[in-house]
Amino acid sequence: MKLDKNNLPDKNGFFGEYGGKFVPETLMYALEELETTYEKLKNNNEFKEQFYKDLSEFVGRPSPLYFAERLTKHYGTGSIWLKREDLNHTGAHKINNTIGQILLAKYMGKKRIIAETGAGQHGVATATVAARLGLECHIYMGSEDVQRQSLNVYRIKLLGAQVHSVDSGSATLKDALNEALRDWVTNVDDTYYIIGSVTGPHPYPMIVRDFNSVVGEELISQSKELFDSMPDAIVACVGGGSNAMGAFYPFIKFNETRLIGVEAGGEGVETGEHAAPLNDGTPGVLHGALSYLMQDDSGQVKGTKSVSAGLDYPGVGPEHSWLKDSGRAEYVAVSDDAALKAFHEVSELEGIIPALETAHAFAYLDTLMKEFDKNSNIIVNVSGRGDKDINTVANIDGIKI
Amino acid sequence: MNRLTNTLEELKNKSKKALVAYLVAGDPDIETTLELMTVLVESGVDIIEVGVPFTDPIAEGPIIQKAHDRALKNNVSLKSIFEMVDKFRKNDNDTPLVLMGYLNTFIFNKALIEDNKNDVIDSVLVVDIPGELKLKDYGVYNPNINTISLISPTTKKDRIESIAKNSSGFVYYVTLRGVTGASNLDVNEISSNIEEIKKHASVPTLAGFGIKSAEDAKLLSQCSDGVIIGSSIVQMIEESSQSKEFDRISTYITDIKKAIS
Repeated sequence: MKLDKNNLPDKNGFFGEYGGKFVPETLMYALEELETTYEKLKNNNEFKEQFYKDLSEFVGRPSPLYFAERLTKHYGTGSIWLKREDLNHTGAHKINNTIGQILLAKYMGKKRIIAETGAGQHGVATATVAARLGLECHIYMGSEDVQRQSLNVYRIKLLGAQVHSVDSGSATLKDALNEALRDWVTNVDDTYYIIGSVTGPHPYPMIVRDFNSVVGEELISQSKELFDSMPDAIVACVGGGSNAMGAFYPFIKFNETRLIGVEAGGEGVETGEHAAPLNDGTPGVLHGALSYLMQDDSGQVKGTKSVSAGLDYPGVGPEHSWLKDSGRAEYVAVSDDAALKAFHEVSELEGIIPALETAHAFAYLDTLMKEFDKNSNIIVNVSGRGDKDINTVANIDGIKI
Repeated sequence: MNRLTNTLEELKNKSKKALVAYLVAGDPDIETTLELMTVLVESGVDIIEVGVPFTDPIAEGPIIQKAHDRALKNNVSLKSIFEMVDKFRKNDNDTPLVLMGYLNTFIFNKALIEDNKNDVIDSVLVVDIPGELKLKDYGVYNPNINTISLISPTTKKDRIESIAKNSSGFVYYVTLRGVTGASNLDVNEISSNIEEIKKHASVPTLAGFGIKSAEDAKLLSQCSDGVIIGSSIVQMIEESSQSKEFDRISTYITDIKKAIS
């Protein structure tokens, strides 16, 4: 395996043995159409200019790389830097991908936009870009997530999109994806499906990664400017894995930078009640790709458990599976309790309320910072802000708002 | 000879159309599925598609999704399906049986397919893969088991030939853009697409998805080698799951059979 070459996926959409295009026949032409359009546009100057213009003027990029002074003091070892994706318009990294994909939809002449969402951030980001272009937009969301992310549900509605609550299966992100795929199979001629993570069939894992890689690209120049070297580690939470992939991808060739993905450990990986397929799963096929998957002893997809709706997913993007097997990235898990502790700690120490998803990345600093000395630089990808999680955390703390 | 190939050939020789019925193994429970399979055969079904339940059946509409959920609550697995089918074979060694399900189940349980103990299963149909995909490449293989590929209204002409060649039982033509049980059949489109498929396929082409009434069945049987009925049967199974009186299903099948004869 050649790690110095960032040329994956191969032409069939595989990252090593992972990835692929395992979808019902009806969707094959839509995937081919998308792939052809993307290959044509990705190096087109006009397309790139439009993408970066929107990121700058509408999203507010570049997002700062911010020195976390009190958090650094708290651990007393290396310098901790925060990549502030939480400051993006709509409050998370998800907007980077939707800005890119809506441009593809526009070039393809699609009139109707659909998306799945877990925590609601991708739903908000999709509804936002659809509103900007005046396109009809439908968001699928598990009914359990509709409950725990009610603020984002209302935001999506305010943006003029329709929210479809999904009751089937475990009523979370996985089931929202199932329902979005069913919609796509039915309305494939005029509908563009904006997948929100580096998951799904080829070419989605590649497209979502590429659009989100603006994060890693900015980190390269910001690291040079702020501490004149590559970072010693980048830490990011992993559900489907889009924020991590966007930060990791441009760094794959810099072997001096450790890439660390933090999965949702739920009640603890050892209890089986979690959402950590890279830590406790086996390869399997879900939602169009072969990747690490949580499955039982007869090949059924297992239910997941996480306090964070955005990480509550039994699968993971195929490129992460490849990065894990190749040893280029490390994948760990932290529990709900640890994430909640970090959520409070970071809020109080830094004046930044992180999303519960992001809190998982912060929680791992307890372990990680012991491995570094004062001269090292650690970047945490602050994938989103925690406003949407206030109700969940207040409930857990027994506080009525 | 493989039972499926055999049956399809016999029907062709008699200039008859095939009637295929789908049910979900384990809905409402595995014993009743066994009973229902006999009911289907006695009512005139030529081939049975045994649905293998999966947690994430993305190609199914709400009726069949719920059936998958009910079957999974009964802890039905591919292993218990093979045991049930083995019992079925004690009384019926002629009716072709097709396992229809999702890729992950077959990859995970490839040893069961390779084994096919007592040679009970005749064919495998995986709904969440492109038509050219060779299951053998993923270890899902048995020389005595046919594989059925799907072609849909959105399949481009240049792929039809290779998909048809990849299909060893019959070609399954998906009659609509949508999930199972939907209702937007376009007969003109269906008939011209099946005509195109037939130019390339050496095996029969059957039509399925969205066929509900005897009238639908009649219309589609005129341009294909047979029809596949799923959601309507699964719905009737659900409605009769308490009473276990399946006369309605018999009558329904008999009517369809008459319509396509």
